[in-house]
Amino acid sequence: MSTNKRKLLNRYHVVFLVQSTMFGTGVLSLPQRLSSLGYSQALFPLLFGVIASLSIWPMIWINSKYKNENLFRINEILLGKWIGKSINLFIVLQFTLFLAAIISSYMNLIQTTALPEQTMTIPVLFFLLLLTYIVNGGIKSVARFCIMAFFITIPMLYFLRWAIEKGEMSHLFPLFNYNGHEFFEALRKGYLSILGYEVIMFYFPYIVNQKKAYKHALVGIWISIILCFITTIVSVLYYSEWQLENIEFSVLHLFKAGEFSFIERIDIIGITLWIFLILSTAAGYLWSAKKGLDSLRSKKKKYHVYLITIVIFAVVVMPISHESQKKLFEGSHYVGYLLLVWPIFLSVVHILRKKQVQQ
Amino acid sequence: MNVKFIILAIILAMAFLTGCSAKVKKIPLEDVGMVGVMAIDYIDENSLKLTVAIPQYSPVAKEHTQIFSVTTELVSQGIVDIEALSDKKVVLNQLRVVLLNEEFARHGKAREIIKHLFRNAEVGNKVLIAVVKESGEEILKEEYPDKPNINFYLNDLLQPSINTAFNPNTNIHDFVYTQTNPVFDSIVPLLEKKEGKIEINGIALFKGEKMLRSLSKDDALIIQALQGRKKLAPLYIKLNDNNKEEKMMLDLINSKVRMKGNKSVDSPKLTVSLKIEGTLVEYKGEREGRLSTPEEILKLEEDVNKEIEKDISKFLESLKELKVDPIGLTEKFRMHYHGDWDKTMTRETISKLQWDIHVETSIVSTGTLR
Repeated sequence: MSTNKRKLLNRYHVVFLVQSTMFGTGVLSLPQRLSSLGYSQALFPLLFGVIASLSIWPMIWINSKYKNENLFRINEILLGKWIGKSINLFIVLQFTLFLAAIISSYMNLIQTTALPEQTMTIPVLFFLLLLTYIVNGGIKSVARFCIMAFFITIPMLYFLRWAIEKGEMSHLFPLFNYNGHEFFEALRKGYLSILGYEVIMFYFPYIVNQKKAYKHALVGIWISIILCFITTIVSVLYYSEWQLENIEFSVLHLFKAGEFSFIERIDIIGITLWIFLILSTAAGYLWSAKKGLDSLRSKKKKYHVYLITIVIFAVVVMPISHESQKKLFEGSHYVGYLLLVWPIFLSVVHILRKKQVQQ
Repeated sequence: MNVKFIILAIILAMAFLTGCSAKVKKIPLEDVGMVGVMAIDYIDENSLKLTVAIPQYSPVAKEHTQIFSVTTELVSQGIVDIEALSDKKVVLNQLRVVLLNEEFARHGKAREIIKHLFRNAEVGNKVLIAVVKESGEEILKEEYPDKPNINFYLNDLLQPSINTAFNPNTNIHDFVYTQTNPVFDSIVPLLEKKEGKIEINGIALFKGEKMLRSLSKDDALIIQALQGRKKLAPLYIKLNDNNKEEKMMLDLINSKVRMKGNKSVDSPKLTVSLKIEGTLVEYKGEREGRLSTPEEILKLEEDVNKEIEKDISKFLESLKELKVDPIGLTEKFRMHYHGDWDKTMTRETISKLQWDIHVETSIVSTGTLR
């Protein structure tokens, strides 16, 4: 394959790939995760945006040093074959678990709201089939799906109208009403909701205009951050502090406030439309995990996607207790944080081993 | 080619075979009983009486509403029991109104029940809540010959119309919101059964979880005005100075309220300015006939201002005594306070509250006759 042909992603693809992988199930429960701050959480997503903008910089820097390689290859080049491969295996496992966590939490939501009298096995199966279909089309197909998902779901912002009308502006004040402990609690729990932009380390080699990738990624990040910001601000206006803390999927109840004369339950429409956002997030991760498996086995095989999908399916429907499943997912979430720091470590290694590697 | 054919055959076979699966059949719509109104009456600490009204769609049925009543400890258990009585599967998806009996509310049980409904994903958040003076069961069972059906009747009654704008129409979200927000005490419309009709008789004021007392329509109107509602019910004003009695009715066009706290929790002071705009629709008193000049109207406006200020002041005084805050006045102090704000602080603040009220009435017109 010529290098020219590998460059598939234009700037719109980059913007929406970054945006859509960030915006998934996380935001549904973002206000609840930030609830240790009480009403003062409204501005918090902006802080997340700043952290995300800073932490994506080393990712792009290390990638731009190896223009045609993704993170899996970079690991191998910088750390040697064996250490690199074992780290890659770790990343693939983490992504698989992360995917399982996303899908299982969304399916839980669907079960409690839209389909209370059904088991979730069949819907999960169909979801995964659709997911593999998108991913099989390659990264460009994922990117196009992300763009579509964004424009299909963005009109849902209108559903927030009623909640804003009923909300109390005074809840926003005082602006910084928390202590250090509450601050870190919110940071620890809440930042998970906006993870997803780190996937750029895997599709970076496919970007046409790599020099401007940072700028485009920033646009994507800030679209997501602004959407998160709107969600938290409307939640703060509409809910009491107790409700912020105890309503698990606060967006669902924001939609419940709506009234159309011709639709009784807007929340059901909103939550089922949300599947586009989940699919776009999951597609980004699944595609990366597949690339990881490719690089682990040093060959490209189509069935790698199915392999990962089968593992995800097994994890989601496996008959272990809800409790241990939750612990497993939580663990995988925290490992996700490591991936944010990883490029900084790699950059250090890169500087130290510059000459050796280039030889 | 062959493999593809086999796969196609398997898929087709599976598609046709799904009809033979032993899955529970979906229930047809006619066999679903959609609860429209639910009434809860107090029996004792542990048990309650649950009554539901289910619209009956069968054209041959004589009664348009089925009413079932059971004694139970939990709401969901009661629904299961009702299902055993009913010929249908009982669901809560179409629930519109929940009636709580006054005794039940006074025992502080309302929050538990409403939280349960709030949690339930089947139930929308726009379900209206009302407190009933005597028994909710009787309200549902009463005959209302001129009304289509109890479900519609109650729902329409509790929606605020311009003449019942004092009615703080409270849905599940509002109730949970005011119950869990420390700066609020809940208010809920209070219903009373009269011969062949139901009347909104005022509002029920809660203190924390328990219903404290009932408030009159006039008090309710003050609450609504101070909460910032734009459209208010017609205002009846009685001026009574120098032994000259004057009565009048103002149709309110617009009202606007602005409240400002002095940011101090220790000596809280609130400045309230209320602007109301209205039409004088009826007047009875000694100024009759002289009200055509702007000067006279101005004088009347001033008298009205004083009267309303007095009323509001009196009402706030009573809130101060009871240490309750249905208006959310303490929010004006919470928004400047760093740290956790809890219910005891609300009680303290309201008991120390000072206020300064300015009312500005403007009578836009006095009708088309001079």
